[in-house]
Amino acid sequence: MSRVTIPARNALLAGLLLLAGHCDLVAQPQEQPGRGEYVAILGDCMACHTTPGGQPFAGGVLLPTPLGDIISTNITPSVAGIGAYTLEQFDAAVRRGIRADGKYLYPAMPYTAYAQVTDDDIAAMYDWFMTEVEPSDCHPPPTELPFPFSIRLSMAVWNALFLDDQVFASDPDQSEQWNRGAYLVKGLAHCGTCHTPRTLLMREDPSRHLAGGAVGPWEAPDITSDPQTGIGDWSIEELVQYMQTGSSNRSQAAGPMAEAVDHSLRHVTEADLQAIAVYLQTVPAVSTLSQVERAVHEWGQADNELAAVRGEDLPDEADGWSGAQLFDAYCAACHQASGQGTADGAIPALYHNTATGRPHSNNLALVILQGIHRVSEGHDIRMPGFAHELNNLQVTTLGNHVLSLYGNPDAQVTLEQVQGLRYGSAQAQGQPDLMRLFRIGGAMLFVGVLLAVRLSLRKIIRT
Amino acid sequence: MVVTAVGPESPIRARQMSEPLSADFVVVGSGICGALAAMLLAQRGASVIMLEAGPRVGRAQLLANFRNSPRRSDWMSPYPFSPWAPHPVYLPEANEHLLQAGPYPYPAEYIRMVGGTTWHWAALAWRYLPSDLEMFSRYGVGVDWPFDYAQLEPYYQWAEELIGVAGAEEEHPESPRQKPYPMQPVAEPWAMRRIRERLDGTYRVANNPVARNSRTFGHRPACCGSNNCQPICPVDAQYHGGISVAAAEAAGVRLIANAVVYHLEHDDQDRIVAAHFHDPERNSYRITGNTFVVAANGIETPRLLLMSTSERFPNGIANSADTVGRYLMDHPSTSLTFDADEDLWLGRGPQSPSSISALRDGAFRAERSAYRLDFTNISRVDSTTRRLLQEGVYGAEFERRLRHSAAREMSVKTVLEVLPRPENRITLSGKKDALGLPRPQAHYAIDDYTRGGALDAKQHFTRIAQLMGGSNLRFTADDDFANNQHICGTVRIGDDPATSVCDSWGRTHDHDNLFLVGTGLLPTAGTCNSTLTAIAVALRSVDAMLPVAAPSAAGQGRS
Repeated sequence: MSRVTIPARNALLAGLLLLAGHCDLVAQPQEQPGRGEYVAILGDCMACHTTPGGQPFAGGVLLPTPLGDIISTNITPSVAGIGAYTLEQFDAAVRRGIRADGKYLYPAMPYTAYAQVTDDDIAAMYDWFMTEVEPSDCHPPPTELPFPFSIRLSMAVWNALFLDDQVFASDPDQSEQWNRGAYLVKGLAHCGTCHTPRTLLMREDPSRHLAGGAVGPWEAPDITSDPQTGIGDWSIEELVQYMQTGSSNRSQAAGPMAEAVDHSLRHVTEADLQAIAVYLQTVPAVSTLSQVERAVHEWGQADNELAAVRGEDLPDEADGWSGAQLFDAYCAACHQASGQGTADGAIPALYHNTATGRPHSNNLALVILQGIHRVSEGHDIRMPGFAHELNNLQVTTLGNHVLSLYGNPDAQVTLEQVQGLRYGSAQAQGQPDLMRLFRIGGAMLFVGVLLAVRLSLRKIIRT
Repeated sequence: MVVTAVGPESPIRARQMSEPLSADFVVVGSGICGALAAMLLAQRGASVIMLEAGPRVGRAQLLANFRNSPRRSDWMSPYPFSPWAPHPVYLPEANEHLLQAGPYPYPAEYIRMVGGTTWHWAALAWRYLPSDLEMFSRYGVGVDWPFDYAQLEPYYQWAEELIGVAGAEEEHPESPRQKPYPMQPVAEPWAMRRIRERLDGTYRVANNPVARNSRTFGHRPACCGSNNCQPICPVDAQYHGGISVAAAEAAGVRLIANAVVYHLEHDDQDRIVAAHFHDPERNSYRITGNTFVVAANGIETPRLLLMSTSERFPNGIANSADTVGRYLMDHPSTSLTFDADEDLWLGRGPQSPSSISALRDGAFRAERSAYRLDFTNISRVDSTTRRLLQEGVYGAEFERRLRHSAAREMSVKTVLEVLPRPENRITLSGKKDALGLPRPQAHYAIDDYTRGGALDAKQHFTRIAQLMGGSNLRFTADDDFANNQHICGTVRIGDDPATSVCDSWGRTHDHDNLFLVGTGLLPTAGTCNSTLTAIAVALRSVDAMLPVAAPSAAGQGRS
C-alpha cells in the first residue's frame, strides 16, 4: 500500500504547487484543495451527486441507465446524508457498494473502480466530507427500478461475480509516474466507467479496457493506445491540454466528457494529468474496428458547396433546405465557409477532427442539437445548440452534409436516430443493446438469485 | 418543444376558431419595446395577445438571405418584404411606402416583421445624458421631459439587464449609474485601439455600450467578431426583438403574425374596446381587450392613430390636440472619410465599437446642435470595390488599391441632435398601400440649429485626420445629411395634453386604456441611439399598465 501512497503523495505535493497557477488560468477564486477534497475532485463525486446550480453533494441527480433511472443520494454530513457514517461504513459504500444500512448500491456508483482506491485516500476523503462539506437536509426521492432490479440483494450476486475488491497494486516494472496514472485511471478517475465497453451483465469488459463505451446516447470513444481509433497518436502535452481545457485541435469535449473536464479534470494537477496520459499511452489497443482506413482525426479537408446555392432562392419549407444551405445559415459564421474554423483555433475546424471522423454519429448529432455547454468563467456556451431552431430532418441533412464534406463518409445520420436523440430514447451506437441484453441477463440472474442468496449472504457476513 | 425556424404561419382564421380574439392586454407590434412589455405583462399574470403586421422569419433564413444577396451593403436586402405589411424600400428601387413631402427627405428604414427593426441595428445602447431630458430649462430650446434622468435610471438598469448590455462604467461618467453594466465591454478591435491611442490627449475615445454579449449571457453566446452586426448577427450574440418575442411567447403571450391593425375602436367613454385587423387576404377581424398597447414604431404608430378616425375623434385616436405625428426627429449624420498613415484593417470585430462623447453637451446647446462622433468599423472591401469598379479600375491596379483602402481607409461621422418642431411630422398621404390603407408621409427639414452642429464638427474632423496622419480627405457635402433611422418624437410623452400625446406613463391623454411604447415617445433626441431609452420608458410604463403588487385586472378577461 505505502508503495503507492508515498509516490502519490509526492506527486500530489509537486502538483499542488502547479495547481495555483492552473487555478489562475481557469479563474477559480477557491483556495488550493486539501488532500481529501482533491481525492473527491479526482473521483468526480460532484458530477453525480450535485444538481446543476444545487447545493454541492446534496444528491438528487437523475442518472438514466438501461435498467431505469437511478437517483443519486445526499452525501453531505447530515442525517439525510452520510452524517452518521463511520469511516468503515463510508469505506464499504465507496469501495464495495454497501450502504450503512446493509443495502446494496447499484453500480451506477462506480464502486467497482473505487475498490482500487487506497485506504489513505479513502480516509482523507472521509475526513473532508465529514468536516468541510456543508450539510444538507435534502432528501432526494428514492431510486425505484423495475423488478427484478428492485431487489437490491440481486447486486450481491453481481458483486460476487464481478467485483474485484482488491486495492490497486503497483507494477514494479513500471515507473512511479505510470503507476500513479494507472491508479488514477482505473481507480479514482474511473475512466473505464464510460470508456470501457460492457458485457452482457453490465460488467466492464476487462479484455477491452478503455476501448470505447457509452454514456446514455453518447459515445465514450476508444482511449487506448490505438493510433487510429484511440489516443496513440496524441502527444502527452496534447492529452494534458485536452484534460485541462476540454479542447485540442482534433477533439473537443462535449456532453458528459465536458462535465468530467469541468467538475474534475481541469482541477487536477498537471503532474497527475501527465501520469494519466503516460498510462493511457500504454493501454493495449483493442481492434474494435476492423480495417480502419484512416485515423479518426485524419478525415476530410477544407471544402464547401456554397457555389451551388448562391443565387438560388431558399425553399419556403424548412425541410427543403439543402445541406449547404443549412451549413451556410447555421454553421459557417463560426466554423467558416469551408469548415476551416478560425486561425487561432478558438473555433475548431470540422475536418481532421474526431467529432466528424468516427464511424458513429451520435455525438455529432447531439452536439448539433444541444451545443457544447461548459462550466467556466464567461464562455460557458462554447457552441449554441440548435434543437429549438432545426427540425429533425434538418439536423439529419446538416449532419450528413458535415460528415460527407469534412468527416468519415461511412458515418451517417438518420432521421430515426435524430428523433431518438431529441426525445431521449436513443442508445449509444456500436454498443450492444443494453436494454435487451439486460432483460436476458436479468432473467438469468433472477433464476439464479434464489440459489445465490445463500452464497451471497455468506459473503456479506464474511465482510 | 420542437419549433421550426421558418415556415408559414398558421392561418389566422383557423386559429380564431379555437382561440377567442380577446385578452387582458392587446399589444399592437412585436418589436423590442412591444415584445418586452408583452412579456412582462404576461409574467405578471395577464393574458396578452400580440399582433404583428409582418411575417415570422428566423435568423438562419435572414443570414442565408444576406449571404445570397448581391447587395451586401444594402442592409434591408435580407429582410422579407410583405405587400400586406409594407415598409420603406430604397434599393434597387424606392417603393414609396413613406412619401416625402419635403423640404428635406426623411428616408427612414424600418422592418415590419416579427421582432421588428432591431433585427438589424448596431445594438448601441447608450443612455441619454441627464441634460437631454431638460433641454428647455437648461438651454431654452426643445422641451423638458415629464420626469428627470434620476427617475429613469432604475429602468435603464432594468433594460440593460434584460437585453444584456456590455460596457465599462468608468468610461461613461456622463450618464450616471447606480449599478455596473451587466457585462464587461466586448474586446476592442485593433483599428479602434489605434484610433484611441493616436487621439489620446486631444480626444477621449470610449467604447460604445452595446447590447452585444462579451460573454455568455441570456443563454446566448459571446460575439464571434463576424462584423455583420448589420444586417444580421449570425449567432445571436447581439440582442434583437426576435429574442424579446421568444421570451414573450415563453411567458405565455400569444403572437398573431400577419395581422395588420388598421383601426382602433372606442366606446362612448372614450375607452378603446377593440382593434380591427386584416390578414394578408384582406379579411377583417376584431380583437377585444381591457387595455391596448400600440408599439408599432415612430411612423406606423402615428399612422395607425391617424387612420383610426371616428365621429368623436375626426383627426384620429389620441389626437384631439393635433399632436400625433408631430415633432419628428432623427440623428442626421455628416462624415469624413480618409486614409490613415498606418494599416488599421477595419472590419474585425463589431461594426460600431467606439465614440467621442465630449461634444454631446455644453452651453453651446442653446445655439446649435450637440453631437457624438462615431467611428465606424465596417469592412471597407465592399464599398471600395464598388467605387473602384465605378471608376473603371481593374486588374493589378484594382487589387493594389483595394488592399490599400481595406487596410487604411477609415471614417468618422457626427450623430447630430435635432430639435422637436411641430412642423416636422408624419401625416397620412392620399396614396394607398396594397390593403388600401393610406401610406404615411414625412414632412421634414434640417434647421440651422442642426446645421450649426455639423459646421462645428468640421474642425474636429480635420483635427482627427491630422492626428491619424490622414490623406485623401473626403468630407460629405454641406447639405448631405444621412438618416440614422432613429425615428423619435412623433407620439411624445409630456405633462401638457396640448403639446404631447401621452402622459409620462405612456398613457394617451385622450384614452384611459390606451398606452403607447416605442421611440416615438421620446420628446428629445439627444445624441445617441434611441432604442435603449425607448425600452427604459416602456418598462416604466409597464409599471403603470399593471403594477407588480396589485391584484390587477389580470384574470378577469382570461380565457
